[in-house]
Amino acid sequence: MRLLTHNFLQSNVKGTEKGYPLGIERGAELSVESSPVNRNLVLKMLNKVDYSALVSITNNLREERQEDIPELPPSLPETLEEETIANYHKVLFDVQLVNGFLVCPDTGRKFPVKDGIPNMILHEDEI
Amino acid sequence: MTSRPELTGHASLFYNQKEARKYHSSSRMIGVQREITERAMELLRLDPNTPALILDVGCGSGLSGQILEENGHVWLGCDVSRDMLTVANNTAKQQSQQPPKEESMQQDDSDDEEEEEEEEGASTGDLMHHDMGTGLPFRPATFDACISISALQWLCYSNSKNQNPKKRLLRFFSSLYTVLKRGGRAVLQFYPETADQAVLISETATKVGFAGGVVVDYPNSAKAKKHYLVLSFDRSSTQQQQQQQRPLTTGMHEQQQQQHVTVGSTMEGANNKKKKAPKKKKGVKTKEWIVHKKAMQRKKGKDVRPDTKYTARRRPHKF
Ligand SMILES: C[S@@+](CC[C@H](N)C(=O)[O-])C[C@H]1O[C@@H](n2cnc3c(N)ncnc32)[C@H](O)[C@@H]1O
Repeated sequence: MRLLTHNFLQSNVKGTEKGYPLGIERGAELSVESSPVNRNLVLKMLNKVDYSALVSITNNLREERQEDIPELPPSLPETLEEETIANYHKVLFDVQLVNGFLVCPDTGRKFPVKDGIPNMILHEDEI
Repeated sequence: MTSRPELTGHASLFYNQKEARKYHSSSRMIGVQREITERAMELLRLDPNTPALILDVGCGSGLSGQILEENGHVWLGCDVSRDMLTVANNTAKQQSQQPPKEESMQQDDSDDEEEEEEEEGASTGDLMHHDMGTGLPFRPATFDACISISALQWLCYSNSKNQNPKKRLLRFFSSLYTVLKRGGRAVLQFYPETADQAVLISETATKVGFAGGVVVDYPNSAKAKKHYLVLSFDRSSTQQQQQQQRPLTTGMHEQQQQQHVTVGSTMEGANNKKKKAPKKKKGVKTKEWIVHKKAMQRKKGKDVRPDTKYTARRRPHKF
């Protein structure tokens, strides 16, 4: 699962107020790929993301994988250098959560991620 | 009639490992899903030059997502069958292991992309294991568009005592309403078993606030017939938009074959199928409707002709 997707997820388990952003439990297995930068897509997606959530999850993951994950500016710069766009591309599309847990910020409900696929299934009594 | 998989129990039991592989490698299936997805894309009316973020509900093994990808969009697929998702995941992995081609996606211009059959290095899709009947777990106003291909009818069946189809449909549509960006559209192709199911589905969609209706392609062919629920936020322009969404037909007897069912009057349309009762002519509005519409326009400060005894009167000749 990409960090782009993570940015859009919101837990809707019973008892959540905001359900957003989901935490990523420490010790998660990540993979960092290097796919060709698509400038257009990056710009379009930057428009959609919750920027502060993106920065904070990136900073969390950098605690464990500093060398592979670029640091992001604390607020979205007005003009974007090519290099900055490449960094955004890396963070949004190339950093993948492979195995681990997503955590609902309100209820602590954990959502397992296996082989890159988060399991967001809720039981009827959790809704 | 072949038996319906929806009657056999939970979707994740039907779409098991064996079925998922079979599904994904059947060239007939690939062809059919491609055709439906392309038609759904047409009904979505996205700007072909702007990449969009699209939700694919009941994405299965990724056949529909593949087409979104070819059109340069970013997509997120949800499915309740882990086995289908695993097939989708493996396909994506194989794809990204192929060395990326010389020209990167960046330099592609959209004209060339169409002809390019070969897959590019990175996939633009992502997957999630989820049951749409429990409500979509995303932030509000996230997606530019939503498609769902051959999956929605599953919500009409209950697989356990505590699964209530009405409730699940309602949850699905109200969450869809929330996660879709204002101005966005959703096109959901589904296979209703009965006319009542089509009514239930489209009425639930209107109940949560959506505008739109069901477009039926090839209504007279038992095999080719397809239902597309087309949803938007724009209640005012729906009438006009729907006129433009002409159903596909096989050519002969165009008039008879066309079928357009609007949300709320679906029942009437559905019955037509059996009885072939004369349909209401398109574009004929009742007087009440026109007077109401005019009043609304006036409220908005528009210049509208006064209501008279001639309002909504039929004209003797069509022109
Ligand atoms: C006929 S397949 C279509 C898959 C894909 N859209 C395509 O065009 O190839 C129907 C899919 O709907 C999924 N499905 C059924 N019920 C579902 C539910 N409640 N939530 C999410 N997906 C569901 C099934 O698991 C299956 O993968």
